[in-house]
Amino acid sequence: MTLSTQERLASAAGSPSRPRGGGRLQASGLPWILPALVLGVGLIYYCIGYTGYISTLNWDGASPEPLSVGTKNYSNIFGDPVFWKAITHTVLFFVVTFVVQTALGVVFAVIMHSHIKLAVLYKVIIFVPVVLAPAIMAPVFRQIFAANGQFNWVLDHLGLGFLAQPWIGQESTSLPVIMAITIWQWTGLTFVLYYAAMSQIDQSLIEAARIDGAGNLRVLWSIIWPNLRGTTVSLGILSAIGALKTFDIPWLVTIAGPNNSTQFLGTYIYQMTIQLAHVGYGAALSIILLIVALVMAIILQIVARERTGRR
Amino acid sequence: MRFPFQSKTALRSLAALAVASLAGLGIVGCSGSNQGSAGSATSGTINWWGWTPTNTNEANDFIAAFNKEYPDIKVNYKLVGISDYQATMRPALASDNGPDVFDLSPGAYVQQFGSYAEDLSSAAQGALGSDWKSKISSIAVDGLSSNNKLTAMPVGSTYAGSLWYNADLFKKYNLQPPKTLDEWKKVCQTFASNGVGCFAQGAAQEGFDQDTLQAISNSVEPGYWTKASKGDAKWDSPQIAQTLTIWKDLFGSGIMQKGALGAQQYPDINNAFLTGKYAMVMMGSWYTQYATQNAMTQALGSAGVAGAKPFPILPMQFPDVAGKGNTSEMFGDADYGLAVASKSKNRAAAETFVKWMAANPKGQQVVADRLDTTSVLKGVSPDFTTIKFVDPAQQSGPVNDYLKNASSVNEHRFALLNSDIENAFLAAAQSVVGGSATPQAAAATLQQAADAAKAQNK
Repeated sequence: MTLSTQERLASAAGSPSRPRGGGRLQASGLPWILPALVLGVGLIYYCIGYTGYISTLNWDGASPEPLSVGTKNYSNIFGDPVFWKAITHTVLFFVVTFVVQTALGVVFAVIMHSHIKLAVLYKVIIFVPVVLAPAIMAPVFRQIFAANGQFNWVLDHLGLGFLAQPWIGQESTSLPVIMAITIWQWTGLTFVLYYAAMSQIDQSLIEAARIDGAGNLRVLWSIIWPNLRGTTVSLGILSAIGALKTFDIPWLVTIAGPNNSTQFLGTYIYQMTIQLAHVGYGAALSIILLIVALVMAIILQIVARERTGRR
Repeated sequence: MRFPFQSKTALRSLAALAVASLAGLGIVGCSGSNQGSAGSATSGTINWWGWTPTNTNEANDFIAAFNKEYPDIKVNYKLVGISDYQATMRPALASDNGPDVFDLSPGAYVQQFGSYAEDLSSAAQGALGSDWKSKISSIAVDGLSSNNKLTAMPVGSTYAGSLWYNADLFKKYNLQPPKTLDEWKKVCQTFASNGVGCFAQGAAQEGFDQDTLQAISNSVEPGYWTKASKGDAKWDSPQIAQTLTIWKDLFGSGIMQKGALGAQQYPDINNAFLTGKYAMVMMGSWYTQYATQNAMTQALGSAGVAGAKPFPILPMQFPDVAGKGNTSEMFGDADYGLAVASKSKNRAAAETFVKWMAANPKGQQVVADRLDTTSVLKGVSPDFTTIKFVDPAQQSGPVNDYLKNASSVNEHRFALLNSDIENAFLAAAQSVVGGSATPQAAAATLQQAADAAKAQNK
């Protein structure tokens, strides 16, 4: 059997040239989507639903007779100061890491586009932290930022010994340390995405700007930066999701402490569910995390669409 | 081309198959609660999961000694890290593929996992007779019992509330172990002036903070901590506020190392002490093993010190930090007990292994000689003729005395407290040191946690 190109296109688009026959289409399509449907509905949505159900229980995860408490877990969460600390840390973490990573990523990308020597080596050095597992790096950072660690040693040898601190041993500096480690780890990815995005900018635009007398900073601000908007929005979404999912670095480096100063939603859910066996409470926290993530994703999508529309 | 499921009949068949499969899975899942046969008591393969012994060689030594009597029971030991234990065990014990034997410790673990364990009272009675409780350290039995059910047979007990010190460092600077808070401060000043760390603790982890707080409390008023743990006294009392005030003073007076709130007892402080960076450490009876040549050498290797010379460590009483003449007594619990999983298909063989480890003199002797945990069967003690100390002349007497004192301890360490209160101790300890709460306010949070736990249990 042979089909013309037009017929093939019409067939792919569900053209009226082929009888629609809804039932027939479902019958033929269902087996193909069934695995994904079973996985999606059976695993993910079922688990979300089950977590929602557990969130209405007072349960240790093992008892055969969990106690139904309705929405009490949720009302307790909103009165829980540790939860609000975790939310505050998440917002602060997102803002700081996103802004700093973006700034560093753009600067590194611009420098690498400037035909410097050993650019490949620099690119590798900047990107290597991205592929290192946090579980491997955490003990290293625990050592570096300990009171008698290498960071203070360097400060001492630079004549800045008065700045030496027990960085991860006090509430005031533990969160900035977690942010610094995250920035160190993920700036490489930001850099790579900006580097690729900059390669797509039409060179004639930059040349025209230079003919008009624009300097480096002017070109960066008025030509390059606006053309990176799509990448920035994508990175914003990734950073926001990353902030909500933050678990490994604060848990492995500071165990979410001292005194909850590096507590995040992920670490708090783990503490409540696994360590303290408040599985219902942990499930309620998970549902709140899900809602926050959904709301944030919707907001970021709307913002991105509005900006795209204006362009 | 035709799809294989184009007809409605075929589609319905597929749907029916899927439903049947899901139903089948459900039936298989439900069938997990069926215990079935207990199997043979003298043969089979059993899987033992535990966070201790942390040294798998030690576990394998136990198993090898067990196999001399029971060669047809194969025991596989799986070490599960203490930080992952709860996360690992909950689904494992609920499934049909979990361990046959698993570790339990008093307190939170018994509460969380005791329901997955067989009642071993009759096994204990069978092994030791009707007066079996009198033949085992009572402090070890109490903590592993819940609602008249012996969830696990204690293998070893552990005691805390003491310090260990590096005898070489004290000798080098001509110092004596401190007995009061003032002496402690002076000792630390001497070490500091010589560039040596004095006392180190991983204050980021609640269990060890709790040990130090209980030791301080015993100096403030002996036995008050235990009364409060039982609910017979208040946590928001002047005694506990004073305890927290002294705790804070340890940080401000140069006794506790800088950055202690960010340090973990394992591996940070353990490694720092074993590498000679600090002279004193808050460790319990489990540290006795490092008094021996072999264990100390191995530990130094694990701490990353190649070719280091083992040094003698000695136990010392916690100083009279309240200045009331009360030297803190030790407190303890079962270090760990072995539970037999209710879902095990080899429960009889598992029970044979557990009884041998916990109630057989030969098993307990192997446990005692490792010095990792203190044997619980009365009449069994380490055979010091076969154990080689780093410096026998200096260590033999004090270590023997230490173990004798430990065996008479009657105050619990963790067994009377649940994980919420333990978590509140960490928050209180850290917030007092960080300055975000006064000792009185922090003591009040302990009482709130205790009240909440009480209400939860009603």
